[in-house]
Amino acid sequence: MESLKQGPRKVKVEFLPEGQSVLVPPGTLVLDAAAQAGVPLVSPCGAQGRCGRCLVRVEHGEVTRAQNPHLSAKQVGEGWALACVTQIVGDVALHVPPQRERERVVVQAAATRKAAAVRCEWPRYPAVRRFYLELPKPSLEDSSSDLERLKKALAVSHGIEEVHVVLPVMKGLTRELRQADWKVTVTVDAQEGGATRIVDIQGGHKESPLLGLAVDIGTTNVWIDLVDLSTGRSLDRVSTLNRQVSRGEDVISRIIYSQRGNGLEELRQLVLDTINNLIAELAIRHKFEPREMQGMVVAGNTTMVHLLLGLPARHIREEPYVPSATHFPVYTAAEVGVNINPFASVYCVPAVAAYVGGDITAGVLSSCLFESKKLTLFLDVGTNGEIVMGDADWMTTCACSAGPAFEGAGMRFGMRATKGAIEDVTMNSTTLEPTLRVIGNVAPVGICGSGLLSALAEMLLTGVVDRSGRMNMGLAREQIGAGSRLKLGDHGAEYVLVWARDSGIGEDIVLSEVDVNNLLRTKAAIYAGIAVMARNVGVALEDVEEVLIGGSFGQHINVEKAIQVGMLPDLPWDRFKFLGNTSLAGAYNILLSRHARVQADEVARRMTYFELVADNTFMDEFTAAMFLPHTDLSRFPSVAALLEKQAGAGVGG
Amino acid sequence: MAAVEVPVEKWTGKIREVKLGGNGRKSVVVGGANTLPFLCFEGVQAHRPAVAIEVRDKEPRDWSPHLVSAWGDALKSPGAWAKKAAEYGADIVYVRLASAHPEEGNTGASEAKKTAGEVLSAVDLPVIFVGPDVAEKDNEVLVAVSDVAKGQRVGLGNCVEKNHKTIAATCIADGHVAIAKTPIEINLAKQLNILLCDVGVQPDSILMDPTTGALGYGLEYSYSVMERLRLAALMGDGMTSMPMVCTVGEESWRQKESKATSDVPKVWGDHLQRSLVWEEVTAMGLLTSGADIVVLRHPRTVAAVKAVIDKMTK
Amino acid sequence: MALTGIEIYKFLPKTNCKKCNFPTCLAFAMKVASRVVDISACPDLSPESRAALESAGRPPIRLVTLGGDGHKVEVGNETVLFRHEKTFYHPPALLVRVKDTMPKADIEKLVEEVDAYQVERVGMKLSMDGFAVHNASKDADKFVQAVEAVTAKSNLVLMLMSENPVAMEAATAKVASRKPLLHAATKDNWNAMLEVAKKHACPLVVRETSGLNELSDLSEKTSQAGVEDIVLDAGINDFRSSVDLLTQIRRQALKKNFRPLGYPVVTFPGELAASADEEVLLAAQHIAKYAGVIVLEHFSPAVAYPLLTLRLNIYTDPQKPIQMAAGVYEVGAPKAESPLCVTTNFSLTYFSVAGEIEASGFPSWLLVCDTEGLSVLTAWAAGKFDAERIAKAVKQFNAGDKVSHKSVILPGKVAVLRGELEDELSGWKVLVGPPEAMDIGGFFKRTWKA
Repeated sequence: MESLKQGPRKVKVEFLPEGQSVLVPPGTLVLDAAAQAGVPLVSPCGAQGRCGRCLVRVEHGEVTRAQNPHLSAKQVGEGWALACVTQIVGDVALHVPPQRERERVVVQAAATRKAAAVRCEWPRYPAVRRFYLELPKPSLEDSSSDLERLKKALAVSHGIEEVHVVLPVMKGLTRELRQADWKVTVTVDAQEGGATRIVDIQGGHKESPLLGLAVDIGTTNVWIDLVDLSTGRSLDRVSTLNRQVSRGEDVISRIIYSQRGNGLEELRQLVLDTINNLIAELAIRHKFEPREMQGMVVAGNTTMVHLLLGLPARHIREEPYVPSATHFPVYTAAEVGVNINPFASVYCVPAVAAYVGGDITAGVLSSCLFESKKLTLFLDVGTNGEIVMGDADWMTTCACSAGPAFEGAGMRFGMRATKGAIEDVTMNSTTLEPTLRVIGNVAPVGICGSGLLSALAEMLLTGVVDRSGRMNMGLAREQIGAGSRLKLGDHGAEYVLVWARDSGIGEDIVLSEVDVNNLLRTKAAIYAGIAVMARNVGVALEDVEEVLIGGSFGQHINVEKAIQVGMLPDLPWDRFKFLGNTSLAGAYNILLSRHARVQADEVARRMTYFELVADNTFMDEFTAAMFLPHTDLSRFPSVAALLEKQAGAGVGG
Repeated sequence: MAAVEVPVEKWTGKIREVKLGGNGRKSVVVGGANTLPFLCFEGVQAHRPAVAIEVRDKEPRDWSPHLVSAWGDALKSPGAWAKKAAEYGADIVYVRLASAHPEEGNTGASEAKKTAGEVLSAVDLPVIFVGPDVAEKDNEVLVAVSDVAKGQRVGLGNCVEKNHKTIAATCIADGHVAIAKTPIEINLAKQLNILLCDVGVQPDSILMDPTTGALGYGLEYSYSVMERLRLAALMGDGMTSMPMVCTVGEESWRQKESKATSDVPKVWGDHLQRSLVWEEVTAMGLLTSGADIVVLRHPRTVAAVKAVIDKMTK
Repeated sequence: MALTGIEIYKFLPKTNCKKCNFPTCLAFAMKVASRVVDISACPDLSPESRAALESAGRPPIRLVTLGGDGHKVEVGNETVLFRHEKTFYHPPALLVRVKDTMPKADIEKLVEEVDAYQVERVGMKLSMDGFAVHNASKDADKFVQAVEAVTAKSNLVLMLMSENPVAMEAATAKVASRKPLLHAATKDNWNAMLEVAKKHACPLVVRETSGLNELSDLSEKTSQAGVEDIVLDAGINDFRSSVDLLTQIRRQALKKNFRPLGYPVVTFPGELAASADEEVLLAAQHIAKYAGVIVLEHFSPAVAYPLLTLRLNIYTDPQKPIQMAAGVYEVGAPKAESPLCVTTNFSLTYFSVAGEIEASGFPSWLLVCDTEGLSVLTAWAAGKFDAERIAKAVKQFNAGDKVSHKSVILPGKVAVLRGELEDELSGWKVLVGPPEAMDIGGFFKRTWKA
């Protein structure tokens, strides 16, 4: 009787730092308690536990958390909880951080989901080495020539036989030896399968770093690592836009451009300018002469390497897609045209085929896929999508013409991941209002790959698009809030992400049905490529133990969203690892180790190239994947559960 | 003696049962099989495949003389035609509202209502109505027909990926069955079923038309797509388990083998016999791969196909 | 059980030596798995690996060759239950029954007609495979005479049907070099029939209609006795049990690897048929599932043509789309002022476009470009249907000489090619047709003033 009078048991919830408090029945969601207490807590996804934005920290007291991907174990340990999926059990005190701090925690959580890159250990044994030699002075008893003397010293003290001295160095030998009192520092370049060459001689004992460059020539960006070859330390990393971009955004348009009059030479100069400018920048910053750089390893897709070397690229584009070379001879810097020691070697990482280039070989090398005991899937999602599957025993690879949608190309408001790009979208299930994260925190001007991916996933989960990617215009009528974001625009049905008044470009930023269809094609091409390859070798996708993601887009990809739209197979998240620029990492490995160089040649030979276009099941898989997330929902159990939950919540009309 | 163990598959799924007609009309249920077509040793074909006869709302101009002579004046009136179809043993009347096509008269809702009324009162068989396969016209005439046929559970089609919401909505409102048509592709067939279910059509109110390739004109594609759909359904996929309807007559009679009356190789043989066998073999091929309703044109084909269905299912 | 690429790869030397003409061992293994190349193309396979792979790769249904001198037909060696799983390889032999009770003149007339029958379809010549000469008279002499009458007129494959080993021996001796299929060893005449088959090295039908247990006993006994080229006769001749029996036999062979039923099966769709229609429909079912040899009671061109077409359709490799030869085709009887349409050489695309043109009442020229069997959008995406290729085809096949108007109609799905194509084909007008073939009729009506 007593308890009846008191009514149901209530517990006290205190919100810090302001100190508002409220009494609620146990089991109440923190979000509801906050609303009662008048504490502002936004929930962009509409309390679905999807966006991870309504963070609070439990100072003391007991709560029940629902399992959630948005928080790391460490963060949960620190007391963080999502207000919309956390129930109050007993008296609690909750800290509500300001919006900015909440954002920081969210981003941190995302970062901890990205495992660090795997690196195999290579014995440090660079092709380019430097030796300090003190030669015995000549005498009447020992009147062998300067060159003989030098060779003998190298052989005796370092076991290096059969060296070749390039002529300009030879010309200076006599003077250098005598001026420096027979104490010299020689730089020796020993390329596998080539002559061992002396490419530089300087008087005295040089102790400045021995410099080399690892270069990744991307279709869009060029990256250079400046490396101290004697310590193996990376001294600096620089990058810039590939100047060829002005002549076409993707490899196909570059090839087409290269077929015009002087096009090939023009493109070669543009990429050389790009590289040489970066080298000049490094030289100034680190106070050395460009000619002090003694070696270069270049990783790039097959087309990029052809254009760098000035090789005709036309047949890369035309069936049967035969490049001039896959394993490129080693040339000198002077021959190639890069502004370092003209006698230094430029080694281009070998390609597998016309559309699986040295960047992928380098990726497989740096990711250690080639010696992995686990069945591994390696993805490089850039302008094209390349896929490698295998383990230490076997490897297959294919290229899917995914198209550059995720790089923003071909999308009405697409852009690269630079300032002003929408990089994350969360949509409220009830109001369909979006919450955006914009790079640089400025007024948005467009949307980049990761933003597109999250927008597509959110549109699916909120029912804005149906599973075929068609806008559900029926929702427009029911929609509440500030005007309907679903409307008929000039290009058909569209969803307004940003109203003109809030955008940095003075017009609405929208995603149209056409854009969605473009994204569908891209994600379908990637998933179909993965599925066809797996079936052809005879492995089941669920047996893939590790998924390694490299490439430019890979750095920003959100696995959760990529699975929700059906681009990546529905595997446990802990099997996905992000490796960043694996192409550059591979070039770096090779620069520092002849073992890695030998392995790179071997890896390129070992990979079995698989032509997707020639496979008759590709169209079948592609059509099946042209649905959200896939026609066969049983391949995406986690998304099926999510869709069911959304449908249960009465979402999607 | 070696005892041969009968290799029975353990299918987990079955074809959905879909009912047409009822509520005063005769009804036909198709589907319900829990094994491959006509396999008796491991399951049951709950309902025998149905034979529908194609009727048009407008006298066809370009039909084979063999079809014209078989139907005579009935071709001029959909009601009379339907009646004669019933006499020839149709289980279902399949009405093509051809005159609504912009090129064929561009008739609208009122003519469609009239046609529907005529057919529905001429026969008590279940009826399927399909539009001219032009989106706006389909929506216009099928909504009109739906209203006239309210409660009589007719089939309405064709729902296609680009145009299914209106027809789906009218099927839901008036209790009809949606015909989901896709272009000879298993994924697209399944996708459309999902889309229809997502907008609220009950799975047992959908028939699939996976598009018929006639003998010699893509039959093998239809054959394999249908076989794959059927296998997927038996393996438990609820979104491929809708019964299938095949427009055998329409596809078969439009081909040169049936159409050409002169200037054909002698080895093609007698024109009438060839045309009939062409339609029959197309029907047989698709029944073997999983058709639940075959829509035919010639009365003799109807008799022949019904006879073999009898023999295979008794 | 068919092995996957990876399973085969495990047996290979993994040297990537390229002696098999594939770049890597895995590439080779994948081709072996898809039966593009035989495992014997690897010269460095260890004997153990070879044995393991060959036994795994042994066909679950034996390949049996019918016929010898002159004409040969291979049946059996199927590996799947459903054609989409890979393909069906060896189409069933279609034989026409010739009874030795028929007057000689009738036999000759029938044989001549069947032998000469040939119909062309998508560039392929389709014909009947041979005759089942039946000792209906039960008289050995008559049987021999009938067999001789048939062989005098035709080189096609022979099946000799007699229960009487003496008649069989007499007839077989006359045509031994033609390697006739002998029908049939039963449990009553088994010893004697086996001897005839052995003596003349002919394939033998094992007939037992009382059940699959009995049939497999007899076939096992036969193979143990040294006759390996066996065809099974389970008495398949009616609508009620055909699919059941043929499916059970095929499943036993493929899924259980049950050797005694791992042989092609002969069927008789006309034996019980109430009409010629019924015979053709049951034969159609047997073609689809899963006969190896089909004996027909009747022959007429109007029936043979559809059956041969069905057999072609069902036995088309689903992984290799049928391609039309590139060129300019006439649809209807086009004149110089008729439309000129362009499409790809994927057979289904061609047939749907040609069919719609046919139905439109506007005879047209149809220029088929070589797109390696891809449909319009797929070919375009793969770069096999671009302005350059279309222009090349227009010139190569002298399309300009056929028409007086110099305009060409592009499929609507590749409307983007219009400008480029106009650049490539100077003096030509490029029109954009409808995206779907079914709208061709309407398109012509709206736009074409013939």
